[in-house]
Amino acid sequence: MSVVAKYRQVFLTGIQTSLVYRWNFAIRATFSLLHLVYIFILWGAAYAGQSEIGGFPLAATLTYFVVLLILQFFLSAANDDYEISEEIRNGLINQFLTKPVNYFAYRLSLYFSARLVTGVLSLVPFLCILPFLGPKLTLPAGEHLALYAVAAPALLLSAFIQFTIAYCFGMLTFWFLEIQSFIILSLAVEAVLGGQIFPLDLMPPWLYQLSSWLPYYYQMYFPTALLTGRITDLSVALQGLAIQAGWALALFALARFLWTRGLRRHTAVGG
Amino acid sequence: MDLLRHLRIWLASIRYSLVRAMMFRGDFIMWALVELFWMSVNVLLVGVIYDHTDSIAGWSKYEMLLLVGTTLLVQRLLMAFFWSNLFELGRNVRSGTFDFFLAQPGWPLFMVSTRKFDLDGLVNVPVALAIVVYSAHQLQLDPSAAQIAVYAGLVLCGLVLHYATLLAIISMVFWLQSAKGIEGGYFGLTEFSRLPREALRGVARVVFVYALPVVVVSNVPARLLIHGFEPGLIAWLAGATLFWLAVAVAVFNAGLRRYASASS
Repeated sequence: MSVVAKYRQVFLTGIQTSLVYRWNFAIRATFSLLHLVYIFILWGAAYAGQSEIGGFPLAATLTYFVVLLILQFFLSAANDDYEISEEIRNGLINQFLTKPVNYFAYRLSLYFSARLVTGVLSLVPFLCILPFLGPKLTLPAGEHLALYAVAAPALLLSAFIQFTIAYCFGMLTFWFLEIQSFIILSLAVEAVLGGQIFPLDLMPPWLYQLSSWLPYYYQMYFPTALLTGRITDLSVALQGLAIQAGWALALFALARFLWTRGLRRHTAVGG
Repeated sequence: MDLLRHLRIWLASIRYSLVRAMMFRGDFIMWALVELFWMSVNVLLVGVIYDHTDSIAGWSKYEMLLLVGTTLLVQRLLMAFFWSNLFELGRNVRSGTFDFFLAQPGWPLFMVSTRKFDLDGLVNVPVALAIVVYSAHQLQLDPSAAQIAVYAGLVLCGLVLHYATLLAIISMVFWLQSAKGIEGGYFGLTEFSRLPREALRGVARVVFVYALPVVVVSNVPARLLIHGFEPGLIAWLAGATLFWLAVAVAVFNAGLRRYASASS
């Protein structure tokens, strides 16, 4: 079996597995609309009496949050860290040690399949409320086309970074019995420094500059800012893409390092 | 008598959980930090927004902080006493471990809700209280002893309301394949408790202020400290607490009747 066929099979199996939980995904996506309503009310009230906050009108800020929420469903490594941890703890990874299967590639295939199902299902409630949502949103004009071209690889790299961070957290199971607290702490850091709580450009400039050198910036904020016109300078976008690629490589190297070191500590028992 | 026996069981569970937390001290510290960080995120959001505006729906920065602090206080209490228990209910129904609770000599809902106690949630209660006290100080409020006592009672109502919301949502697991992700509904709904009531208009006001108690749960105690006694609002929150607790228990009982165990 060729390498591509092997992981394609994993991908297809992953889609079937994810579809079993389709109602859960649909419910989660519907619940996320509540978050959107909250965002609209909060920022609507904050904008009352002023046309701009941080140089952006209300419509631009609302668009930022809508796009971010949709991207979260397509990109966020929601459960992968936990699943990897369980596979290590329960000894399920033992099977990969004796087979010609690369565990990173296997999990990455599953990540893409789960995100595809979650992402597509999340679009259903969004499409349902589009007639209401549409007039409140705004997207950048035609001259923004070059930045959309940067956004395409940025989205792929963002997915890779999201997954690799989750993978690295999963690897911690080789050293720690319980990693859930690490994951939730990391989620909180991601939520702030990834721009999920507020657009990062609303922070003081020095803090914004600092955050742009961290990987969290490239998980969600960077692609969302490119798509919604919060980053308009092409040179800034290209520099961001280069830093993002650097982080993707660094995190991949860290993932490999943790896997190799972790396996040295791992003991496969039972028959 | 039966109530006393259940109370003794709860105290025994709390004692067991405390011993367990002290056995895994590193884990306890880590979770306490996690909760502290999430609380800071909420405070940070208030800080960032008020860097760019003076008022949200007529609420000043410290009024808003008092509102957020009240919400955090209620949530920390929920995390300490009930969160883990109800979160695991979803997993247990799917795996069949729920049978274990049914076999115990006590009311199933009570046994499910009180098995664990999370000290990490409780240690952050003083932090949430500190946010409330700091905001009140910045607003130069001087609440009377009666105001403070009623505020405590309203926070307790808030805890019951949050419990009821979470229970009703997690009980959906009796009808679904798994509980994966459905607890998100709780977070989705309780986000509204960090909003001033005046910020909601039209349909949102009807749904989240009048139909669901997600806004009044925090607004009523916060307003009590800021504006003094408003008997109508207090009665509203107390009534909503009783009503929604009854609804949640009914949903749980309906789910219980549907439960047919799971194979191993």
